[in-house]
Amino acid sequence: MDHYHAGAALGISVGILAGLFVIVLLFKKKVLDMHFDERQERARGKAFQYGFFTLLIAVYAYGVSDVMFGKWCDVLTGVTLCVAAGLCVFAVTCILKDAYLSLREKPRTVMTMFALLSLLNLGIGGRHAWSGELVEGGVLTFRAVNPIIGFATLVILAVYIVNHLLRSREEEAE
Amino acid sequence: MKNLRLKAARAALDLSQQQLADDVGVSRQTINAIEKGDYNPTIKLCIAICRRLGKTLDELFWEG
Repeated sequence: MDHYHAGAALGISVGILAGLFVIVLLFKKKVLDMHFDERQERARGKAFQYGFFTLLIAVYAYGVSDVMFGKWCDVLTGVTLCVAAGLCVFAVTCILKDAYLSLREKPRTVMTMFALLSLLNLGIGGRHAWSGELVEGGVLTFRAVNPIIGFATLVILAVYIVNHLLRSREEEAE
Repeated sequence: MKNLRLKAARAALDLSQQQLADDVGVSRQTINAIEKGDYNPTIKLCIAICRRLGKTLDELFWEG
């Protein structure tokens, strides 16, 4: 392993550890919570099922595309794309079934967090795109991980807001 | 099928869906789904709702 790859591996590892630390902290501070009622548990079970099968199909499609067209993206980017697809399907299904946020989570706080996460990742992605590091030699580099995560969180945020607005209107009509 | 008896019993006590949901430990959307007939609650939740509203299972959930 050369210095560049060792540095990249160290950077990614530190990033993952920092992310885990922030998530644990948010759970400790009760910003994130995992207490769901029986209807939500059932709905989330179905959503997990959809998300899992989406992940399987996405991983297989990625593998087939790699065989058919050759290397078109770094493995980390491909894996992130598959995970993002699975997560989006899971999250959107949960949102549509009113089972995304737990009983104790505050919608505004969680969605603000999503907006920040999305902006940060899309910003980093934009910077990489500007400097031409996103695609090198026709291959989508591992730097595309940030914009993929940013786009996935943006999709979840948008679906949550639209669903919230539509539900509010329905309830007012009732 | 809509559960109008549940809605009426809740309204009689001047409780909002949110208040009832908080009292029985579920989300407001779950109470809404039960009232609209979109969700069949477990017996455990039915009993909790009956206790809170001072009704029997028959009065709220039996479709005779």
